[in-house]
Amino acid sequence: MPHNLEDIEIISRLSKKDKDALYLLYDKYSGALFGVIIRMCRNQVMAEDLLQETFIKIWQKIDSYDASKGKFYTWAYRIAKNVTLNSLRKPDLLIQSEELSVNTRKATLEPESDFNGLNGAISKLEPHHQEAISLVYFRGYTHREANQEMGVPLGTFKSYIRQALVLLRESYSHELIIIGLLIETF
Amino acid sequence: MDRKKILENGLLEKYLLDELSSLESQEVIAAIASDEQLRTQFELLEEDFERMAIENAISPPDYVKVQLQTKLHKSTKKSKERIWLYAAASVAVLFFMTSFLMFNRWQNTKTNYNSLQNQTMVLQERLNALEENYILTNQRLKTINGPKTIPLILHGNDLVPNSRAVAYVNHENKMVVVNAQGLPELPNNSTYQMWSDVDGEMIDMGLLPTNEELITLKYIDKAESLNITIEPAGGNDHPTVEKLIAYVTL
Repeated sequence: MPHNLEDIEIISRLSKKDKDALYLLYDKYSGALFGVIIRMCRNQVMAEDLLQETFIKIWQKIDSYDASKGKFYTWAYRIAKNVTLNSLRKPDLLIQSEELSVNTRKATLEPESDFNGLNGAISKLEPHHQEAISLVYFRGYTHREANQEMGVPLGTFKSYIRQALVLLRESYSHELIIIGLLIETF
Repeated sequence: MDRKKILENGLLEKYLLDELSSLESQEVIAAIASDEQLRTQFELLEEDFERMAIENAISPPDYVKVQLQTKLHKSTKKSKERIWLYAAASVAVLFFMTSFLMFNRWQNTKTNYNSLQNQTMVLQERLNALEENYILTNQRLKTINGPKTIPLILHGNDLVPNSRAVAYVNHENKMVVVNAQGLPELPNNSTYQMWSDVDGEMIDMGLLPTNEELITLKYIDKAESLNITIEPAGGNDHPTVEKLIAYVTL
């Protein structure tokens, strides 16, 4: 796997329990991971806790990261997703103990629109492509759950994803060409 | 698993999103490792995925990082504290083990001490018995071996042939000691009895059991002879003359 050399160096420092290495990774990836976590749980406070938990897990489990199997971000994303899904699956103690209280997690959910908006290349895709990518990449849905959410057959959903990914690739490689041209020009 | 199946089923995306079972994951990992084209495809997918995530990043508030730093600092501190805790626990365990060993040793020592004390008591008793025995033997020796003691042998007559008793008489101390072990044993219903002859009258001196080494009898003044008869068990007031078995003149 091609890796950023900087990442490799930081990760090897992290394996030796260098806390500063973790903070460097935090600076680099916390935004991307927080974007995923907050879109999944749609609660600012909860997302902050889960982001912290994610980095604690990264700190504890860095020895199980195998660079030959994927990039660091992919690995960290999976941790963030699992941490968030586990937390959402947990029976809400607040709801169980104080059913009459309005202060439950559901009640504290932020309006959906706050976190649903997507930026960058994906925002330029067709709405159904955007939604398909958003559901599985940012909202933590499995393909099976996502196609039900969108109300389309699984096969159709899979082709949405595939088309969206192809369009993204095109968009990114196009950008690369432009950047290449710009570099050559100047 | 072949490339076509992986691509058609969108397994690379699912693998990336951690949606596969561990068996399927293993298969995809193996396929990526062995198939260059698949590997390139997966790398591009990862790149796009990361890029898209960065484009959609939302910056967390700064205090989240501060909280993370605080938490990590505490947890490493805690683990250091834990080392001390383990050390303390180890010392405690060591202490208990040592105490246990010492307690066992103490118990063993106590048992040994008790048994030694018992042995000492037994030895002390034996020593006392030996001492008493020695004093008695010494007295007897003095009694029968003194210069003023006269040993007299009473030979058995035909009633008890080849037998004898020995009497030790000390006129100064007015003492008579007899060893009757040389006489044959009698049935339970009879006993030997000794008499002094004073002016023709037989005066009782006492019984002579054959199982004792030295028997002290009554000393009778002016006795002319010592006589032994066989009498009914418990002794008799008057001697049975027919059963006179030995005598000696003083």
